Parts: sequence; structure tokens; C-alpha cells
Amino acid sequence: MRENAMSDTIVPGRWARFRDSYLLYSFKRDLVAQLSLVLFAMLIFAAVFAPWLAPANPYDLAQIDIMASELPPFWIDGADPQYLMGTDAQGRDLLSTILYGLRVSLIIGFGAVLMQAVIGVSFGLMAGYLGGRVDAFLMRLADIQLSFSTLMVAIIVGALVKAIFGGATFSEYAVPLLVLIIGLAEWPQYARTVRASVLAERSKEYVDAARVMGLKSRRIMFRHILPNTLSPIFVISTVQVANAIISEAALSFLGLGMPETHPSLGSLIKSGFDYIQSGSWWITLIPGAVLVILVLVINLLGDWLRDVLNPRLYKG
Amino acid sequence: MIFRKTLLATVIGATAMGAALLPATASAENTLRMAYDADPVSLDIHEQLSGGILQLSHMTFDPLVRWTQDLEFEPRLATSWEQVDDTTMRMTLREGVTFHSGNPFTADDVVFTVERLKQSPDFKAIFEPIASVTAIDDTTVEFTTSKPYPLLLNLSTYIFPLDSQFYSGTDEDGDPKDEIVKNGNSYASRHLSGTGPFEVTNRQQGVRTDFERYDDYWDTESPGNVDKVVLTPIGENATRVAALLSGDVNFIAPVPPNDLDRIRDDEDVKLVTMSGTRIITFQMDQNRVEAFKDPRVRQAFAYAINQEGIADRLMKGFATPAAQLSPAGYAGHNDELTPRYDVEKAKELMAEAGYEGGFSITMMAPNNRYVNDAKIAQAVAAMLARINVTVDLKTLPKAQYWGEFDDRAADMMMIGWHADTEDSANFYQYLTECPDPETGAGQYNAGNYCNPEIDALVAEANVEVDLEKRAEMLQAVEKALYDDAAFIPLHWQDLAWASAQNVDIEPIVNVMNFPYIGDLVIEE
Repeated sequence: MRENAMSDTIVPGRWARFRDSYLLYSFKRDLVAQLSLVLFAMLIFAAVFAPWLAPANPYDLAQIDIMASELPPFWIDGADPQYLMGTDAQGRDLLSTILYGLRVSLIIGFGAVLMQAVIGVSFGLMAGYLGGRVDAFLMRLADIQLSFSTLMVAIIVGALVKAIFGGATFSEYAVPLLVLIIGLAEWPQYARTVRASVLAERSKEYVDAARVMGLKSRRIMFRHILPNTLSPIFVISTVQVANAIISEAALSFLGLGMPETHPSLGSLIKSGFDYIQSGSWWITLIPGAVLVILVLVINLLGDWLRDVLNPRLYKG
Repeated sequence: MIFRKTLLATVIGATAMGAALLPATASAENTLRMAYDADPVSLDIHEQLSGGILQLSHMTFDPLVRWTQDLEFEPRLATSWEQVDDTTMRMTLREGVTFHSGNPFTADDVVFTVERLKQSPDFKAIFEPIASVTAIDDTTVEFTTSKPYPLLLNLSTYIFPLDSQFYSGTDEDGDPKDEIVKNGNSYASRHLSGTGPFEVTNRQQGVRTDFERYDDYWDTESPGNVDKVVLTPIGENATRVAALLSGDVNFIAPVPPNDLDRIRDDEDVKLVTMSGTRIITFQMDQNRVEAFKDPRVRQAFAYAINQEGIADRLMKGFATPAAQLSPAGYAGHNDELTPRYDVEKAKELMAEAGYEGGFSITMMAPNNRYVNDAKIAQAVAAMLARINVTVDLKTLPKAQYWGEFDDRAADMMMIGWHADTEDSANFYQYLTECPDPETGAGQYNAGNYCNPEIDALVAEANVEVDLEKRAEMLQAVEKALYDDAAFIPLHWQDLAWASAQNVDIEPIVNVMNFPYIGDLVIEE
């Protein structure tokens, strides 16, 4: 009891610390960041609760009616109020399909970034802290990885999986496979950033002190150095989420990603591509707009975070 | 970083809007730059019986006779013909014709060709009525049929004489040059020597094929003035149309139904349409799925498919919903048979057959062979979901699709068919007769549907000389197939071609969809 009371008086609580932080201070004064966060939260909400929000289940083929295909969104003549955003060429409700597609895009985006972060941060820490041959080996590995574009990795992995397990399996496991592909293709971004930060931190006194105390390398890396390199990791993560979502959309647009029966935003854009100049523009443009907004708000939030966390721009 | 990826997004957008930029070869010569949805799968015109191969045949070879636009016979390499008796026909061949290789064209080449056709797994069924062909002299051949056969001239439209000297002997690997290898790599699939208006000068499968006019082409009266042809396959509908509108190409086919208005409204291009006779169907493989042996299940499938919906929405009315194989105007066309879309009835039939809970099947369809083929397959998959049938659909380019089709690789497969002889019996022969590799019957019957009674009726009709009686028989066949739900007919797809204004395609296109490019005129 007494100890708790004491620490309360000396160290302010987490919430209080957050309330007094520069992070919140700058957020309150940045209209763009606020707007972005609101939009981002709305999109996340819509994606998470898609099964409850969507008027129809686009994955259930039995609900699709070919006679209701290519209906325009509600503000155009000839629209059916049942389909707020219109329907695609097969008669799927576009609003529902976008909500489900958003979900797929976000799962792949965050999943891929998580994978990149796990690989990239471990490799970056090891390369930076251990140095020498480990450093040389891991960084050359990163160079090699960077010379393969995401597209190439996707084509190779996709072709292998399709050849070995068949197309049906690929469609079934498309989400984890895309996470794997995009995760594998872009981990060097993390590894390089983390390595640079580690190199700067490694020679500081607190690291020396920890080493003198006889702590193991792994503990020093993860418990001492890593927390001090977190701010660039946060910034790069926001950028990478946006990148991963774009990569997924690009792959799906090229037919290497999500199948059209389980569309993500990218495959939805692709499926409407045939109709874009023949009147039914909404099948491509509405999901396209959602994709642009999603990537834009994530990037704007990332920009703001970078400004806040960059000590050279720190004015408080 | 952010900007780099934003740029990438813009590039994706730009690709979506833009067209494929093709290298435009500028020259004083008349070059036809044409874009089809796919290029022919092989240079061996006996390897596959398909529209793409026959289009190639008409460019690089000449048939003995060919159809005009009004479906009359026009002499080509055969100048005249006479019926000697019930089973014998004598044809006089054109003189002074040479092959691209320089070899002269003689009666021996015709004999060689027909014999090779009778070996071809795809063609042998239609050439089955021909018992023998003999060269009387250099310019006369005699065809003998085993029974009186009224369609011998129709058949001659498919005899494109090959250069027998060119295709004789063995190639560098020791394989015979005239070997027919389906979906394989044979000498004939890579080399070509015909009498036709164009020679193949360069071919990269799936990328482009170059043709040049054959200098010593025999038909000097042909108005055709095209010196070079560049055939580029463009699979994406929107991209193919954009390529025409932007002037990258000056002839495209097919024109996707949703772009017809756009092309009609554009002053720089013109559109030619015809109502077609090519039936699009799905076949249900009884050897792969036990349930398809039950006629009630097949009927349930037939009741679950909304043909009118597909024709109206996906094809934009650019197709005629079908309930049988024979299009209107064919002897076998039976007016009583109409599409029978009724989901409730379909569910009842499934329940009756004991499949109320449905089952899972695999489905395959090409994605660049028929108009909107992949979309149609998706729609059919969605319709089948209503009777609790789960469909695992795979669509693939035709170059791969036909290999899979020959292997009968899925439970339901799409096939379109145009009657080679412009006669109903051809449909049954290939699509519904009991499969028999010996005679080639049922070569494209991926449903493995087999009903000997119907086959007997077709055989009887084939030797019936009283045309009215014959039509009655063929219509009875059509009715029996309908009642038995042997397959699922979807629609007869209409035909459309589009070209630049100065490319005069109207006189050279036809309902068979074999444009006679050799006679094409490009106005200056």
C-alpha cells in the first residue's frame, strides 16, 4: 500500500504521462493528423465489423443474381436502393464487396508488416550489434532480397504453389501466401533502418554498462537497445503498411493475388477494369477511391508521426 | 519511400487507363495490324479442330472450296466437281498453283492431306465418311464415300492441301515431319508451307505472328492488297478495344459486347456484326462425378441456369439464349425447345435424386476463347450455388485450356461449337455421341454422355437423302438430348469485328468467323 502510494506521487500514471506528452500536444494542433486518424479509425471499424455492416455476403454465391448486374450507385438513375454503391458485372453488391475487400486488404497489409518487422528487426539488431561477419552476411542477404522485386517473388512463389498444390489450394490460402510473399519481399527496409539505429546506440554508455554487468547479448539487444530504436520502427511501420496494401492491390490487379471470388480491393479494381470505359465505371472507381483514401490516411499519419518523433524537428 | 509507392499507385492507375503500346511499323506497304483475343495454338492445321486454327488455315492455305458470305460454294483449289455416282465425286484441281516452298501443287498433295486428316484425332470424325481418295492424274482427284454422303462439298471446305513434299521425311530429331502431336512440339507445329495468300515469316507464340504476302499467290484476281499482317493476341477486352481506338491496330475480333456502342459511336472505326451459330455449352462429366449419371441431377443443373440472364446481362443481348445445339435455320433446330430456368424445380429435382444438400464439383473454362467466357463461367458457378452445388472454378488461357480439356481435367467444362459442315449432325458427332477414339466420335464430348439410341438415330439421319425426313430425325435427336439434359446449352454467340474506317472488312467476314484476309482491301 505505502509503496504504491509513493510511486503514484513520484511517477505520474501512464494516462497522465500521455496527456502531458508532446505526442498528444502536437496531435491536438495538427488538423490533418486528426482527420486522418478519424478516417483511418472509420475504415478499420468498417473492415472489422464488415460481416455485420454489409447488407449482403459477397462470398456467398447463392446470394448473387445475374439479373442485378451492373446496377449504378444510388445517385445515378436506374439504381436499385437495395444496392447503395451499385453492383459489379456478376451482380455482387459493391458496398458489401468493398467492405469485405477492405478487410482482406488490411489483414494482408498488417500481417505482412508484422512479418517484415519480426524478420527485419531481428536481423537488423543482430547485424548492428554483433557486427563483423554476421553483419556482412545479413546485409548482403538484404541486398540480394532487395534486388528481387515484390512482383518477382510473388510470381515465383505463386507459380510454385500453383504447380505443387494446384490452383484451388492457392485460392484457399491466398491470404497467408500474400502475407508471406509481401513479408519476405520487404523485410530489408526494417533490417537496414534498425541496423543504422543500433550502430548509433551500440557505443553509448548504457550499453557498455549492461555489458560490464555481464548481461547476455540477446538481453542487451532486445531489452536495452531495441526500446531506443522504436521511434524509427514506428515511422517505417506506417509507411510499410501502406506499401504492403499497395503491393497487394498491385498483385491482385495483375491476377497474382486474391481470386475474384474472394476479392480484395485490388482484385475488385481488376474485375471492373473491362467496364471502366463502357459505362460501368463504378466497379473500378469506387474501390479504387477507397484504396487511395486508405493509403493516403496511413501515409499522412506516418508523416505526422515522423515529424513528432524526429528529434531534429523537436520543438517542445 | 512514400512518394515512390504513390508513384507506383499512379502507374497502376495509368496502366488501367492506357492501352498496350504496340510497336507501330510505318511503311508505304499496306500492313494489317490485327488483334485477336488469342493466337493459334500451333502452325499444324491438323493438330486441333478450332476456330483459331481454321482462321490460320484460311490465311496460309487454301481450301478446295470455300463458303461465300451467302453460304454458297466458291471454287478455290478445286475448279469444278462432278458426282460420278452415288458414292463417287471427281474434282478438277487448279493448275499453276505453287506452295510457299516453291513445290507445285498436284493431286498427290490432296491425297496426302486427306490421309493425314483421317489420322488426326480431331479431324478424323468428320472425314470418316470418306472411304478413299485417289489421284487420277495431276489435276484430278476422286473421292469415294462408303455410303451416299450428301455433305461431301461441305467437307471440302475443310480440306486445305498441304505441301506433301515439304511435310515428308524426318526432321533433325528423326521424327517424321508429318507427325501430328497434340499440344506437343512437332515439326509441323513449327513449320508451315501452304498455297495461301500469306507466308508466316516470324512467330512468337502468344506474343506476335508476322505474315507476308506470298509473291506467287495463284489468285491474281483477288482484290486483296494487304502486304503484311501482324497478328498480336490481346487477351484483355478493354485493352483490345483501346488498341483499335488509339490506332495501334486496325482490325480486332472479337469485340466485347459492352463496348459495341462505344465502337459504333466512334467515327474513326467501324463495326460489323452478324448473328452467330456458335453454341456455348457446359458438359457434365459422368465418368468423374457419379451424380451426373442421374438424369435428374443433369436436369436440375439445366433448370438452375438462367440462359436469358447471361445473354441479357453479360452478353448485353449480343447472343441468343439456347436450349439446344442447332441454331435457327439448321435442319435439327427444334422450335419447341426453350430455356427452362426454374430454380424451385431444380431444387426439387436435386432432392428427388437424393442430393438436397448438394455436392462439390470442379469447373474449367477458357478465358480468351469465347466472348466473355470466364465471366459466363463465374455466373454459372453462382447460379449452381443456389442448388447447393459448390463450384471450384478455374479459368485459363486457351493454349493451356485445350490440353486440360483433352485430359477431361474437370467435372464441368465449357465448350463452344460451330458446326463444321454447317449442319446439325456435326454437333452430335462431336459433342454428344458416345466417345470412341477409333472413329473420333465424341472427340469433344467431355461429359462422356453416351446414349446409343440417339447415336443410332443420328447415323440413320446421316444417310437419309429425303431432307424433310432427315430434318425430322435430327429434331427428334435434339428433343431427346434436351429431355435427357445431356449437356447445358447456354447461348449462340453473335459475331462482331471492328476495324479502322479504311480497312474494308465487310466483304471478307462471314458467319463461320473465318475472315478471308487474303481478299481484304485497305484503302489508301
